[in-house]
This record gives sequence, C-alpha cells and structure tokens, in this order.
Amino acid sequence: MMEDWDYKPVDDFDKTPIERLSVFPRQPDMFWYGVRFAVHAVLRLWLKVWHRYRVVGRERIPEDVPFVMVANHASHLDALCLLSALPFPAIQTTYPAAAKDYFFTTLPKVAFSAIVVNAMPFDRKENPRESINLCRELLATPGHALILFPEGTRSATGEMAPFKPGIGYLTAGTNVPVVPCYLDGAFRAWPKGAWIPRPFRLELRIGEPLAFALESDPKAVAGRLEEAVKSLRVDESSSRLENPSTT
Amino acid sequence: MFESAIIRVYLYFAAGLLLFAGTAIVLLKFVLKKNADHAWRSFRGWLIMIPLVVGAILLGREATIVFFGLIALYGFTEFARATGLYRDWLITGLVYLGIIALTVLTLIPPPDATEPVLGWYGMFMALPVYVVAGILLMPILRDRTKGQLQLIALGMVGFVYIGWMFGHLAFLANGRNAAGSILFLLFAVPLCDVAAFTFGKIFGRHKMRPNISPNKTWEGSLGALAVGMALPWAFRFSLVGFGTRELILAGIIVGIGSQLGDLSISVIKRDIGIKDMGSLIEGHGGVLDRIDSLIYVAPLFFHMTRFYVGL
Repeated sequence: MMEDWDYKPVDDFDKTPIERLSVFPRQPDMFWYGVRFAVHAVLRLWLKVWHRYRVVGRERIPEDVPFVMVANHASHLDALCLLSALPFPAIQTTYPAAAKDYFFTTLPKVAFSAIVVNAMPFDRKENPRESINLCRELLATPGHALILFPEGTRSATGEMAPFKPGIGYLTAGTNVPVVPCYLDGAFRAWPKGAWIPRPFRLELRIGEPLAFALESDPKAVAGRLEEAVKSLRVDESSSRLENPSTT
Repeated sequence: MFESAIIRVYLYFAAGLLLFAGTAIVLLKFVLKKNADHAWRSFRGWLIMIPLVVGAILLGREATIVFFGLIALYGFTEFARATGLYRDWLITGLVYLGIIALTVLTLIPPPDATEPVLGWYGMFMALPVYVVAGILLMPILRDRTKGQLQLIALGMVGFVYIGWMFGHLAFLANGRNAAGSILFLLFAVPLCDVAAFTFGKIFGRHKMRPNISPNKTWEGSLGALAVGMALPWAFRFSLVGFGTRELILAGIIVGIGSQLGDLSISVIKRDIGIKDMGSLIEGHGGVLDRIDSLIYVAPLFFHMTRFYVGL
C-alpha cells in the first residue's frame, strides 16, 4: 500500500470569503496577494510624489530572520510608510499590529486592514496577552516580520507617548532583532481627525537593530526602545541638510 | 449562436421551476408544518445562481465565456484550498494562468484562420500539454523533491479536471447552437441530480457506493438515468441537428455522467476528509459542489456533439 498523502486544507477552509478576511494568521490567498501588490505599487508611487517620502538607513533592516519594527505613531500613514520601506515582496509577510477594536469592526475597515495594510488584529483591550503570544508564534516562523507601535495609539499632539511594556514582554530574553524607526512628518501630513493626507514631506529614519537576549524586565526593554526611537528624532531642519550619500 | 427564442423558452422554464419549488416549500412549511429549512436555503441559492447564469448567457458569447472562466478559477481555488496545494504559489499560479489562457483561447480565433472562426480549438485542446509540462518544470526550477509528486499531481488534476474539462462548457459558446447546448446542460444536469435524490428517497433500498456517498442508492441512480435518457427528447427543440442516435447518446452522457461527476468530487472530498468544497453558495456548499456533475458531463457532451453533429 502506498503511503497516505498528506492533505492540509487551509485553516480557514470552512469560512466564506468575507469571513476569511478577519482570520489570522492570514492564510495564503493568491488573489489578495495580487491585489496587495497592486495597491502597494500605487501607494509607493504616491508616497514618493505626494509626500516626497525618503528612507534613511534601509540597509539596517535585517535579512533572512524574523524581526520587529517599532516606531512612533502619529497617523494612519505610519504603517503604510513602514511597509513601503521594506523590500516589495516583504509586504506579504510583514504584519503591522492594529487595534482589533478599531480596525476590525466594520467590513470596510476589515477589508482595508486585511487587504491593504496586511494588519494583524491586536486585541489591546480584552486579551493583550493572547495577542502577544500570537506575535511570538509569528516571529518563530522564518520569513515573518511585525510592525508595532508601542505607544498603543496615535498621538493626538504629535508628541511621543511613553512606550507600553508589551513590546518588552514580546522580545525580552529573545534574540529577535528589534528595529527602532522614527517617522518624521506624518503628524503634519495626516493628524488624527484630518480627512485626507496633506502633501507634507515624510522621512523614515531607521536605527541600528537591538536585541534583548539578556534583558528580563519588559519595562526596561520598552524604555530602551523608546530612547532609541527618540534618538532618531533629530531636528527637522538638520535632517534636511543631511548628506544624501548616507541614504 | 445565441438564439433568443431558445433562451426565452428556458427562461420561462426556469421561472416555472422556481415558482413550483417555491410553492412546494411554502406548502411543506406552512401547510404540512414540516421542517423545510434545508430546502429553503437551497432554494435561495438557486434564486441567486439562476439569474446570474441566465444573465451571462443573455449578454452573449463573450460574457458567457468569461463567466464560466471565472467559475473555473473559483472552483480551482476551492480545490487548491481544500487539498493544500494553495500553499505552493508557483504551481497554483501556473494553473491560474492556464485557466486564464483557456478562456482567452476560447475567445480568440486561430491566428492562421482564413475565414471567421470562433475560438482557437486546436490550441484549446493542446493546452494541457503545455500546462502539464510547465507544472513538471516547477520542482526542477527549485531543485526540490520532497512531496513534489503530490503537488505535481494535484496541479494536474486541478488544471485538467477543473480547468480544462469544465472549460469545454465555455467552448460550447462558440458553437452554432451555443445557447441551446449550454442551457440544455445547465438544466438537464441538475434535474438528473434532483431525480437521483427523489427516486432514492422514495424507492432507495440498495446502497450503490457506501464508502463514497452513503446516501446514494441504485434505485435513485436508475431513476436518474431514466430521467437523463428522457431529457434530451424533452429538450429536443434546443438540440438543433440531433437525430435519434445523438439524443440517445446525450441521454446516456447526462444520465450516467452527472452521477459519475458527483461521485468523483465525493471521492476527492472523502479522501481529504471534508464535507463540502467551500461555502460560497448558501445551501449548496462550494462552487465545486454545484458544478461537479457539469465538469464530467460537459466535455463528453461536447465531443459527442462535435463528432456527430458538428459544433
């Protein structure tokens, strides 16, 4: 007798196409891959033209290992800007954590979050622990990456809020590289409450990756990352004068 | 050709069937106080599907071909998701390309045609050669061996069975009697399914294939064959050019083929260990659960017609 074949139906097999959008970890779907690629091609062009988007330190993004990007959070542009700093194919395997109670409520929001942002639903209210465990599982799979905004919400003033310790629970005692990033200009371009993004310049500065294998205190990890992100917040005028050869 | 007189007869027929089924469900539920929920859900599915199909056919040849192409793409997606082939984006993508190519070949004339011809028949028939060759190439390109036979085989079944065999239904749209043949199949095949179910319910004693489909009985199957043999005569007006021999053959193909198509998908589902191929159509499961019989019947009917009557 021949050995049995190993069929593995996708995990969301019995769901309807609409229900599938909210399933996470997201199952492979060639159709949405294609749509996502197309949307992001347009998005990258739009960021470049409308916001003259610039990325400094792209070479610091780790290759071939799962990693976490953390950044300040001032607008809905943030996740899209960070995704646009990555190599194009990586948008399919990089998940910005997005508040489940905001981004996964109505069908249009779910569709946008799942298809365009490729967001991971993060349950910050009822079950943050479980969501962090899900993040941990994702980071254990080669080729995956996460984008987190440890402030927990968009800034209402443009000033950074203290980092919550969740990022510490996730990365303390692990070798997962955490890449601090600072996105400059997003608050001016699209603050909370504004209808459409305004054509202000955006710049993403990527810092040296950190790992916290020897650190056990989540709060200390969050604090160090907060400092690392803040240190990238150089003066607006000096960044303009920065030598372009460093990009 | 899309003869509007034939389409109109089928429209009346569809409306009549829906009205009859709707009345029967209402009677069952409110007069006889029976549980008709399942029948009702299935009925609602038909209420959506029939206008979609009839609408595509009313729009003409191109719309019909594209419509069936989309159904094949979705059907293959269900197959790939159920078998796990979906995780291999390269082979899945190649089969998608193959199905899209089939649709294009159904639409365009052969490049060397000297007179107007609908559809590139030669290339349509030859396409499985190229797609199979392409699928075999994928493990070679990636220098992989583990589990590759399974992926290759699933890709081939996916393309040849769901894409190409079902694709014959779309190619019928290029025939002289396009609307007549397509509508005949679209009506006769589900009617055979209904006959099998009904005869099985009333007379069913002997299980036909207990491992594959425990509810199917020989009695139901014979009933479906009898109905299948009668249907081509009943729909004779839409089978232009069919003589006695062709009507008998069409009856055998529909009466037996639709049951074999049903059983074939059941074999696949049982082997994987799932109940339905998907959940797109309420009360019907997935697209593949709905078109399973058509996949089997369409190419057989196509080649019989082409051989004896001409497309």
